[in-house]
Amino acid sequence: MFIRVERGSSVPISRQIGEQIRAQCLSGALKPGDALPAVRRLAQQLAVNVNTILRVYERLAADKLVEMRHGDGTYVLPAAGKASGSRLLAEQRDQYTGELNAIVCRGLLLGLKPQELRRMVTSAVAAARSGFESDSATTASEPAGARSS
Amino acid sequence: MNEAVSIRNLRKSFGSKVVLEDVSLEIPRGQTFALLGRNGAGKTTLIRILLGLIPPDGGSARLLDRDPASEPIEVRRRVGYLAEDQVMYGWMTPLELCRFLEPFYPSWDMRTAQDYLDRFEIPRHSRIRHLSKGQTVKLGLAIALAHRPDLAILDDPSIGLDPIARKEFNRDLIEHLQAEGRTVLYSSHLLDEVEAVADAVAILHNGRIARQAPTEVLRDEIKQIVLPLDAVDSVRPPAGLLDVRRLDDRIAVTVDRAAPFIESLATGAIDHEVVDLSLDDIFEAIVIGRPQGWPRPLSAVAI
Repeated sequence: MFIRVERGSSVPISRQIGEQIRAQCLSGALKPGDALPAVRRLAQQLAVNVNTILRVYERLAADKLVEMRHGDGTYVLPAAGKASGSRLLAEQRDQYTGELNAIVCRGLLLGLKPQELRRMVTSAVAAARSGFESDSATTASEPAGARSS
Repeated sequence: MNEAVSIRNLRKSFGSKVVLEDVSLEIPRGQTFALLGRNGAGKTTLIRILLGLIPPDGGSARLLDRDPASEPIEVRRRVGYLAEDQVMYGWMTPLELCRFLEPFYPSWDMRTAQDYLDRFEIPRHSRIRHLSKGQTVKLGLAIALAHRPDLAILDDPSIGLDPIARKEFNRDLIEHLQAEGRTVLYSSHLLDEVEAVADAVAILHNGRIARQAPTEVLRDEIKQIVLPLDAVDSVRPPAGLLDVRRLDDRIAVTVDRAAPFIESLATGAIDHEVVDLSLDDIFEAIVIGRPQGWPRPLSAVAI
């Protein structure tokens, strides 16, 4: 599972982590039955407070995205009602589109040309993808066709 | 009793300089607690009082149910302490230092000590003066933990560490202290890292605890609100105002426990924007915020 925490951001760390896991559940990068990393392991890996991770998992469990099995682990649930899952995904994508528009707008205000912006997006996609691929858990679930683009 | 540390009305002056005016603080067992403050705010003084290294002028402290002023040795035996500028005997090797320290701590465990040396990748047989800064800090942590304390007090542990060593240090703290349910009190001014690691924070300022709260609560309750300048005609300065800034035709106000204020703006149909703040912004607002700058109502300004 690939998670990136931005320190010093105005978005609280628990929300950053929660939203990334949620997005991966909704997009299918994490599949029903997949195990999330153990709380302590993820805490250690991200250098984030154990209780913060625990709170994130509990919130995801309250939203029925994952199930915490006592003494066993935390597993992704089948999207409770595929419809509501895809609605949530659509909502998240809408929100993302809004954020992207704002960023593009700022770039134009800073005097960047459209082709420069396009180049930046391309290299950001490449960088993000190499981040995903260095992480074994997500590599397997990535469709093979996506890489040649 | 559930508190690992309990501090009441602690006072300390050096000559005419008042360092701690009135400090009260409770730290529940099992919590990772960060003490924040600017240089010279009194963090180290407070920690030294907690360990019974210097006496307070007034007030009291209890650590693990003991009073450091009357039982300093008992407290120091039970608490793991990493000092800010740890001075170690440079001619000793880490292993010799562990043997040297063993008799001071009834609960010292040589196997635990050696485990930590291995896990922190500290060479056992090099002279301490040949270790790097990062290795020295980790050696300090290893010997602070080798007697398996229920409470660890770390005075600015990440000072002088490079970013990677700091992150490693935070991981060790999470893995070896937090995950084992021990209480940690540490001072720092690296707020971005504190946010990721601490359950709760206290900000020491002007000799008092200016604010103490769980990290997430602090971020929920302290917000910046941007208002059009002409709104000050109908809005009164809220309780908990920390900072006011004027930006051309708008003002940005930082407010503690901002929810009622935001609600009043909404019910008053006053145009406003609520901005989330990072821990860094919050610290700045509390420590150097200027709440006096509330503009006078425009209508009162004579031209």
